[in-house]
Amino acid sequence: MGSKSLSRVDRITYFLLTIVGLISASFIVFISIFIALKGVLPFLTDNLGLGSVSLFKFLTQTVWLNGPTFVSTAYGAGFLIVNTLYIAFLSLLISFPIGVLTALFIAKIAPKKIAGILRTIIELLSAIPSIVYGLVGVGFFLPIIYSLARSLGYSSSGGSGTLATVFVLALMSIPTITSISEVSIRSVDQSIEHASLALGATFTQTRFKITLLAAKSGIFSGAILAIGRSLGEATAVSLVAGNARSGPTFGLFDITSTITSTMLTGLKETQGIDYDIRFSLGIVLMVVILLTNMILNYIKKKVGNVHA
Amino acid sequence: MKKQLLIASVALAFVLAACGTPDNGSGFEQEKINVYTRDTSSGTRDGFMKGIGFGEASSDDSVLVSGFITNNNAAIMTAMTTDIAGIGYVSLSSVNNTIKPLKFEGVDATEANVLNNTYGLKRPFVWMRRVDGDFASDVERDLTLAFIGFMESNDGADVINDAGATAVNGTGNWADLVSSYPVCALDNSSVTLNFGGSDSITKVAEALSAAFSPRCGNVVTVNNHTGSSDGYKRSQGDEKDGINGMHIGYSSRPFTDAEKVGPETTRGQLAWDAIVAIVHKSNPVDNVTGDQLTRIYKGELATWGDVIND
Repeated sequence: MGSKSLSRVDRITYFLLTIVGLISASFIVFISIFIALKGVLPFLTDNLGLGSVSLFKFLTQTVWLNGPTFVSTAYGAGFLIVNTLYIAFLSLLISFPIGVLTALFIAKIAPKKIAGILRTIIELLSAIPSIVYGLVGVGFFLPIIYSLARSLGYSSSGGSGTLATVFVLALMSIPTITSISEVSIRSVDQSIEHASLALGATFTQTRFKITLLAAKSGIFSGAILAIGRSLGEATAVSLVAGNARSGPTFGLFDITSTITSTMLTGLKETQGIDYDIRFSLGIVLMVVILLTNMILNYIKKKVGNVHA
Repeated sequence: MKKQLLIASVALAFVLAACGTPDNGSGFEQEKINVYTRDTSSGTRDGFMKGIGFGEASSDDSVLVSGFITNNNAAIMTAMTTDIAGIGYVSLSSVNNTIKPLKFEGVDATEANVLNNTYGLKRPFVWMRRVDGDFASDVERDLTLAFIGFMESNDGADVINDAGATAVNGTGNWADLVSSYPVCALDNSSVTLNFGGSDSITKVAEALSAAFSPRCGNVVTVNNHTGSSDGYKRSQGDEKDGINGMHIGYSSRPFTDAEKVGPETTRGQLAWDAIVAIVHKSNPVDNVTGDQLTRIYKGELATWGDVIND
């Protein structure tokens, strides 16, 4: 150490890493600016003589478009925001317990060999592209949900709707929650578990009341990532949601739509105002995800860090 | 902990309450019709809505029955395999035995009935080229004629059918026909042919352009589709010599008398775009009229009983 040539290498490395860091950071800035610039156009310009879109109505209306496409500018996305949050919440309700309990099993209970196999499976699951989850939704969930609804005396639209979307998103986010929770459960200090056992707690009591509680900060991070994935998923959702054009939808068997699925539907064939307005939805989506993350991180700070 | 439990149970109650009221009847006639449609940018939707006499719905979601499902071709097909109360529409080329195609005004949706002009839910894809003295060069004229020759060949018909329409021609294999177009033996990579007109024909037109270029000296093709009325305007009408002028213009409706100014040989039909209303295989309904479809998509016929007893 201390030789001049090494410090030059250090400086070059430092310089290169700074450049790489700046480049990747500037992508985020570039994307944000690009989406924002395109997305505000429908509100500011008169859209080639059609009149501008009202921002207040856009954020509060319950019908996607009143009037003919390419002619009307009465767009509304209020119900999409509600649908998107509702669906993400419901899917977390399913994926969170399953994901965390699986993580607990892999980290603490399963024999080493089985744990290894399960860990590989979870890693494989998280690498499966979303379109494949969507196809599973169409081919597997939709018929089941359709018959389920029918047996309850309800005529669903081929199974498409809130429940199908929630299942697909839950399936997609379980691997995320599991792999992150598993790491944080494994890194829980064994001495506090031993202390619990020594005080006479059973293994089950220790795992649920001590281990999980100690790992909750990491588990929460997994949930935040899972929510992010649910909010931003487009392809799989648009395959099973039914793409309702008005809302909001709360019924489990009723068709629904999210911000992303609305952005995607018809994107490849449309033009003009109907195309630009999808960038405005992009801004809404980014704001929704940003706010959700900020709130969840705030909660995480409040509830986490109980145990050292 | 208690508070969290309370929140969770309130959420659960909310979900259950929102499940909607189950319908009471058990027979098929009580089934509410689930209406499926493509989105407003779809050419199939345009053809369907105009074909059944509900043209305002081709670009306006707000005139449709509430609670309709928007999806793509494949998803509508899949939905009809499970949803016994559903109705949707697809191009004839998509129809297979997993779903039940409905007769339109009493006529089966088959390729034969489309070609013999008895099946009504369809629209023609037609083309119009520049008139003979109107090309910038002889090479451009020869290439345009060669393209039309290709479009009407068996190879062209395959391309058209693959792109989802029903080709009306099939004059022979391009390999045998190409000798009548010596221009295709030249290197045409510096020549550009411009196509345009109807945007619902874009997929077929682009497929034809892409298939033609390597078969005719790598001629450059540009497809710029803006609407049926431009098919005539930019090939023989008042925009033909402007910057948007083109060699061949397409239209997805018959040319009007006002547009038929050039010689008859400068225009023709390449295909039919037939659209079929489809339902679940167990659906007892066999036939619908344009008027019934309009009322179904408007929501005036709300249950299958309404259609059966109509």
